[in-house]
Amino acid sequence: MRIVIWIKENLLGSKIDILMTLISAYFIYFIASLFLNFVFTTDWTLIQVNRKILLVGLFPEEQLWRIWTVFSIFSILISATIGYLYKLKLRNSIFYILILIIPFLIFTTMNLLVNVLIILFFSIISYSVFYYLKEKKLKITSRILLLSWLIFLPTLFFILILFGGPKVTLWGGFFVNLILAVIAILAGFPLGVFLALGRASSYQVIKLVSIIFIETFRGAPLIAWLFFAWFVLPNFLPNLFSLNDINLVIRAMIVLSLFSSAYIAEVIRGGLQSIPKGQKEAATALGLNSIQELLFIVLPQALRVVIPAIVSTFIAIFKDTSLVFILGITDLLRIGRLIPEQQQEFYGKSIETLLVVALLFWVVSIVLSQVSRSIEERLNVSK
Amino acid sequence: MNKKVAIEAKEVTKLFGTFEALKGITADIYEGEVVVVLGPSGSGKSTFIRTINGLEEHNSGTIKVNGTELNNNVKNIEKIRSEVGMVFQQFNLFPHLSVLRNITLAPQKVKKLPKSEAEDLAMSLLERVGIPEQAKKFPSQLSGGQQQRVAIARALAMQPKIMLFDEPTSALDPEMIKEVLDVMTELARSGMTMICVTHEMGFAKEVADRFLFFDEGLIVESGTPEHFFENPQEDRTKLFLSQIL
Repeated sequence: MRIVIWIKENLLGSKIDILMTLISAYFIYFIASLFLNFVFTTDWTLIQVNRKILLVGLFPEEQLWRIWTVFSIFSILISATIGYLYKLKLRNSIFYILILIIPFLIFTTMNLLVNVLIILFFSIISYSVFYYLKEKKLKITSRILLLSWLIFLPTLFFILILFGGPKVTLWGGFFVNLILAVIAILAGFPLGVFLALGRASSYQVIKLVSIIFIETFRGAPLIAWLFFAWFVLPNFLPNLFSLNDINLVIRAMIVLSLFSSAYIAEVIRGGLQSIPKGQKEAATALGLNSIQELLFIVLPQALRVVIPAIVSTFIAIFKDTSLVFILGITDLLRIGRLIPEQQQEFYGKSIETLLVVALLFWVVSIVLSQVSRSIEERLNVSK
Repeated sequence: MNKKVAIEAKEVTKLFGTFEALKGITADIYEGEVVVVLGPSGSGKSTFIRTINGLEEHNSGTIKVNGTELNNNVKNIEKIRSEVGMVFQQFNLFPHLSVLRNITLAPQKVKKLPKSEAEDLAMSLLERVGIPEQAKKFPSQLSGGQQQRVAIARALAMQPKIMLFDEPTSALDPEMIKEVLDVMTELARSGMTMICVTHEMGFAKEVADRFLFFDEGLIVESGTPEHFFENPQEDRTKLFLSQIL
């Protein structure tokens, strides 16, 4: 009944409403029928055949357990963090499940299903454990969580590379986009915080260095920086840190991290400026020193203000990872372009692969933006 | 009477750019004394009490708090700030922390008090200002008067010897002014050394031991409330009092 009332009020309220409803309905019908017609009449075997290449590129089959391990650790960590930070609402959970089910439907075969279920099982356990620990108000919980995130980056490299792992040149597919984004975010965020603080610092040298860094990286497009890493860097810094030998994927990671840190720094600087002077004065008057003031008063408030902007920066970084094809890295988008060019039986079937590529990017982005909305809602309660 | 000097200010000046906010303030404030600072806006009264705990750095002259000189020595500044509490016009509570955490933060981080002790202290202070039931709430959930009382409790949690009040009731709705003044009156009666910048003449008359009248960065006149209300000497004082009474 509520739906009927809603329709009456919002769609059929006045004559203009009715007209608009009809026009939009036809428009939606037109687009949707085109799209669905395509989806259901197309032969999707090319996706089925290239499932593995789209997801992980040329990563050797017998080494795939490394990616599974990293993926498992990552989901367990994320679930623990979610469990610690907030209570999942049923409505939100249903949304996440619906969204995440799409890629699983496309990419998961029966033998993978077992892996996925195992990961899901452990994630749910870690969510519950950390939710329980939070309710118990154990102080150590947040430390464990923070520490795990800190050692996550090196662990990730160990698992992927050490003990006969495949060469980094073999990394590819959606895996490369995800790992580049995760690293750019995990490395870029703390660096961004330091740069923002540096730019707000009263020490002129630190301030100047931060400004130069930020403005340099923001001043040129990401593509230019990737080219820089590709052509210029090896000549520019001959043999220093043996940069010539450093793999292109690593270079991409460095460039993406630095680039994103500059943007994150500017976002956080906005947050720092929004904190009223009185907050610092109150902290000073209470005898807090400048580091305590920053840690307990200024940063928590500043970060809170900029969460939506930070998450949209994250989303932008994630989508920008598709630019690494410049370095010859076969990321998801590159593979989506290569399959219809190189596999004779699927010759010219670009639309199919590109649709799937777009879908994968969309799923991650939409989940991220939903997460940011949930965090905002949660923070508003305490405001 | 054997009174100890709590705050000793000599020829204190403060410049904002080319504007002289304080043109040489000399005043002694004694232990246990309640001093009300009066004056038109822009007369330097807020600036003066903000120099006492170093929120504004004075340009020349000396300020001594309980014998410690306020200078560039960080140790001295820390010592003075631990002995001087401050309450602001805009409350300046930390909006991201609960009322309890607002009060316990500084004792825990600065004085390294254990959490349970800090919380006991905070609860007893909240009781003193009359709002123990609000401990778990966030500042934005409280009325202005309640917020200002929390701010007073927060300052008291550092167990200061001197309290500075910078127009504590100016940002409040009229019906909430009394609850804050009651807390301040109680504090004054308990023997706290207080310097209050305020326009609440009823309160001032009741609790102040001494008035300082500021105008254009100078102390124009000082004396007991009786002196001010019955027999002010300076024309500027008379004019100001005629405007606010």
